[in-house]
Parts: sequence; structure tokens; C-alpha cells
Amino acid sequence: MTDRGGARQGSDVFAPPGVEWSRVSDRLIVARYVTAGVPLALLVVVGVVVGVLTGSAWAWAATAVVVLVAVWVAWLVPRQVRAVGYAERDDDLLIRHGILVRRLVVVPYGRMQYLDVQRGPLLRALGLASLQLHTASPGTDASIDGLTADVAEGLRDHLAARGEARLAGL
Amino acid sequence: MTASSGDAAADEALAGGATGFDWRRVHPVTPLVRGWVVVVVVVLGFGRQVLEQGAEERDAAVNHLGWVGLGLLALAVVVVGLSWLSWRFTAFALTDDAVHVRRGVIWRQHRKARLDRVQAIDVEQPFVARLVGLAELKIEVAGGSGSAVTIAYLREADARLLRAEVLARAAGVDATVVAAPRVDGAAAPVGPVPVRSDGPAPSDAPAAVVPGLLRVPALEAPEQEVYEVPSGRLVGSTLLTGEAIALLVVLLGVVGLGVATHSLAAAFTMIWVVVGLGSAVFNRFNRGFAFRAATSPDGIRLEHGLTESRAQTIPPGRVQAVELHQPLLWRRNDWWVVRVNVAGYGNSAESKPSSTVLHPVATRHEAFTAVWLVLPDLGTPDPVGVLSEGLGGTGPSDVYTAAPRRARWLDPVAWRRTAFTVTHRALVARTGRLHRRLVLVPHGRTQSLGLRQGPVGRRLGIATFVVHSTPGPVSPQIPHLDGSVARRLLDEQVVRAREARAHDVPERWMRPETAP
Repeated sequence: MTDRGGARQGSDVFAPPGVEWSRVSDRLIVARYVTAGVPLALLVVVGVVVGVLTGSAWAWAATAVVVLVAVWVAWLVPRQVRAVGYAERDDDLLIRHGILVRRLVVVPYGRMQYLDVQRGPLLRALGLASLQLHTASPGTDASIDGLTADVAEGLRDHLAARGEARLAGL
Repeated sequence: MTASSGDAAADEALAGGATGFDWRRVHPVTPLVRGWVVVVVVVLGFGRQVLEQGAEERDAAVNHLGWVGLGLLALAVVVVGLSWLSWRFTAFALTDDAVHVRRGVIWRQHRKARLDRVQAIDVEQPFVARLVGLAELKIEVAGGSGSAVTIAYLREADARLLRAEVLARAAGVDATVVAAPRVDGAAAPVGPVPVRSDGPAPSDAPAAVVPGLLRVPALEAPEQEVYEVPSGRLVGSTLLTGEAIALLVVLLGVVGLGVATHSLAAAFTMIWVVVGLGSAVFNRFNRGFAFRAATSPDGIRLEHGLTESRAQTIPPGRVQAVELHQPLLWRRNDWWVVRVNVAGYGNSAESKPSSTVLHPVATRHEAFTAVWLVLPDLGTPDPVGVLSEGLGGTGPSDVYTAAPRRARWLDPVAWRRTAFTVTHRALVARTGRLHRRLVLVPHGRTQSLGLRQGPVGRRLGIATFVVHSTPGPVSPQIPHLDGSVARRLLDEQVVRAREARAHDVPERWMRPETAP
């Protein structure tokens, strides 16, 4: 699942040459669809019921808006998930995400204070996990969602070992 | 020294603490200083109840004066007993690589802070403690909120001695031991003490603690004063802040309304606004009062405060980022406030904003000095030129790389000011037109780096470069750089940060370099 050069990301600012990006599992799309879809579906059901019972045009209009949002989410989520990438370089980890607002974070291994692997019930059912890196700065927004469980564990141990080898003070 | 380690063996048994340490006590009046509010409330509450009772009840109370007195006595005994217990169970010890503090009678806490992780050491005197000449020692270790190790209260001189001792050990200077007759009680006479110098500690000092001898720390490292804030300038700068002007406007409005309507209604409705603004203005003055900065081998020393005083020591290499900031109203006088990020200060919940101020109101020259305190070597042949241009300059130059002209669509006001330069030691970022800012981040203190680009920025080909620093008032970022410039800066800073870390100040700053 390596997307060489990140050509689909367009601008080269966020896709430097010579970096091999790893992508996250496409099953994250399912997870995001579920988390976004359940409340949206409930809203649609409520809207339809109210619309049928009262015949109010407002209820139908609101339902239509919700449906539009749902379509937008359905279009957005796969692109968002595919935009997530990470790359292990010799001394640091690169993480990029976002389509509308794009972010790139470089975390030197020696600066990692601790690593979290989190698995909620939904992610667990899909065999996924998310990995979060913490430095001494709260601004470090370095999390990778949607890694398969064994990749996440392996990456965690790998990163921890590299961090230990390069550990520095603050 | 601090209250002597006393009948240590018996205490160990009582407190159940770890043995083998040289446990010491805090000052016995500590519970009173900590709990003075409770005492005042109890006395006031009781007094008010007595006064508010009707005459008959008061007569009844007088008839039962004996019982009342007995009750008060019992209460006093309980309070004193509990305080004594809590004091008895509070102790601290210093070893070569950690500070230990234990407290708590039922829920025991034993906190250990590694000395090589010390970020700052403060001697603080809250108002009441100051009245009775006590102080607390706070050791910041950057372990998340509430991780500071607090030793409270000690007599002020003892707190300073302990600070010197902690600093000496944190620095890696060998603790020196001097034979002194052991004296019970707080005032142990101190024998001849080897003066600590920049060189290695005297090697003729015995290496181990001899039982029955008092352990005496190295003397405080010599310090040299660098600047002092005159009260006049502090008052002037305080009056030229948004809060002070808002206070003035509100006060004038209230007086005007009062005169016009001949009623005090306006005054009553605005009283909390006035109190809030007034305390904000006073706090600024209070915190900056008698502000002094000095250098020493142990790092930057700051002392300040009117009703509450604080003496801070920030060891070398602990400042994560510096910011020179000039509010619009200060431009006429060319005053700057200098703030820093220090890992321990930002995330301790109880820490006040004052601890991150390196200079509350600096002239341009003093601002340069403050930067010099943090970065003695800026890594450029012309530090004054670089800083001057950073403070006042606009547009690109030989030294500074500025944001491109197309950034004006996203930032029409300040785009000309936005620029950065890189020296051998630090990244220098210049931003802000109304509120001018100059931020310096030493390469070795970079935590992680980021780039950010929104939809408009993507169209314009510009991106924002962000340096993630530890929690604190400074958040270094350079907005709206040309995309490829930002990208190159990111790649270069990654390498510079790595190289700088490899040649960094050691954690124990006085210890001679040894091969790992």
C-alpha cells in the first residue's frame, strides 16, 4: 500500500521527492462512514417521519439538507482517508493529512516522549488501531488513524526503539 | 540549614518512609501558613455568630462561657494535633540524582523528581509567607500538569541554601561535605564552606556523608546583575495597556453618569468591571515590581514581585523559545515585553503567567540583553543588526526572507512584516505590524515541525510554517511563506535541529563532558 511520490496530492509542497509514503487501511473509510452515517441516518429517519406526519415543507427541506450533507460526507471521506500518509525516514517520521486544509508534521524520533495505540470497539471490529505520537509540545498533532492492528503495534515498537536510540532531553 | 533531620530513626518508624535518605523537615509553622484562611474564617464566623445573636441568646452564651471555651479548646487541640501530624509526615530528601518529597498521613505520597530533568527552580513567597519570612521551593520537571515538586515552607535563607544545593547537584557538581558540629534545631552553624567556582569542585572534599556530620552544600553560584526594571517605567508601561485604558474609560463614564443623573446606580452596576480591570492592572504592576535579572553559571536568575515575591532560576538550555512583543501603545517608547517558553512553567496548573516573563518592559537595548541571556551566542556575526531588523524592519533584505507579495490577499495588514532568518543557533521569526513580534527558537529546542496550507493558500502557493514548542506564551510560526521556501525551511530545520541536539548543552550543565 505504498503510494510512490504521492502524485495524486498535486502540489509538491506536501509531497517532497524521495519520500515513500505509506497509506492507511481503506477499512478506515468504513469506520468513518459508520461514525458519520449513524447520526445522519437517524436525522433522515426523524425528518421523514416528521414530514409524513405533519406534511410540513420545512421538515422535507431539512431532510434534503441532511441528505446533501450525507452525500458530501460520502464523497469526502474516501478522499480524506487516502490523503493520510506517513513515512519513516532515518531520523524522523513524516505524517500528512487533510484535503481542504493540508498539514504535514515532522516528528524527530529523539523528541518522542511516548506513543499511544488506541482501539475503540468499532476499530477493533474492523481490525484497526490508531497510533498517536506525543512530544513535549501539545502542538504536535501527530496521529495516524486506521492502521491495521499489527502494523500499528509493529510501528509502535519500531518507533519506540528508534526513539530510545536517539533520545535527547528537552 | 533547614529544620534539622532531628530524631531521624524514630521519624522513619513513624512515617514509614523509605530509609537510607537524609530526610529533612519543613518549617513547623507550615500548616498555619497554608491554612491561615481557615483560621481566619473560623474566627470571623464564630465572632459574627456571637455578635448577631439576640441579647437573650448572648446571655445564655455568656452563662455557658465555660462550655464554649472548652469546645474551642478541644477544637484547637484537634487542629493543632492534625497540623502537627501533617507536618510530621512531610519531609524531603536530596540524593545525587533526585529530590524526594513525601507527605500525607493516610494517603501517602512519595514524589521523586530526577535532577537531570529539572527545568527551573523557583523560591516563591506568597503574601502571608512573606510576612513571616518563609518561602517555598518549587522544582519544575516538565512532567505534565502538577508535576512540580514543592517544598513548603522553609525559612527564606534555608530555601535559598536548598536551592543552591539542588542546583549544584542538578548541575553535576560534586556535593561537598564539611564537618560541622551537629546542632539540634534550625540554626546550625556552618563551617568554612568551599566557594563554588566555574571550575570543577574541590577534590579534597570527602566524598561520602559521614554520619553525625552536617552535610553542607556548595555555596550559591556567583551571579552578576544584568538589568533591573525602574519603577517609573513599569508604572508607565502598565498605564499604557488595554486594561488600564479600559479602566480609565469606565471610571470616567461612571463619574460622568453619576454627575449627570445624580445617582450612584451606574457606579453600582459597574463595580465588578472596575474591580476586575483594577486587579488586572495591579497584578501586572505587582508582578513586574523590582524586576531584576542576573546571570550565573546556574543559568538565568530572575527576582520580582511586590506583595508576592519570586526568585527564579532557569538553568542553561532550558528556554525553549523567546518572544519579543511590542503592543501598539508601547511603540512610541520602544518598549518590549520578553516572554519565554520553559517546559515546566507552561503546564503546571498553579503557575502564574509571571513566571514566563523574562522582562516585563524592556528598552530595545535591554531586550537584546534578554535575548543574550537565553542565547549568549546568536550564531551570527552581527547579532544586533539581525535583532534590530527583526524588531523594526519590513520587507525582504539580505538577511531576512519575507513572505511573497501575493500573501497580502490572506494578510493585508502584516504581510510585509512577516519574515524569517536562520542563524547557526536559532530560527528568528518576525511577524505582526500593529503588535510587533520577534520569536527566536534555538535549533536544539525544536520539538517537531509542521506545514499547514488552507484552500486559498494552495491556490496562491503559500504555506504556513509552524514550530511546535513546549506549552507557554510563545507559539512560533511563520505564516504565508512561499510554498517552496516553506518546504525548504522545513527540510533544513529538521537537519539543523538534529545537529544542534547532538552538540547540545549537557543536561547536567556543570559536569565535564564525558563520552557516553
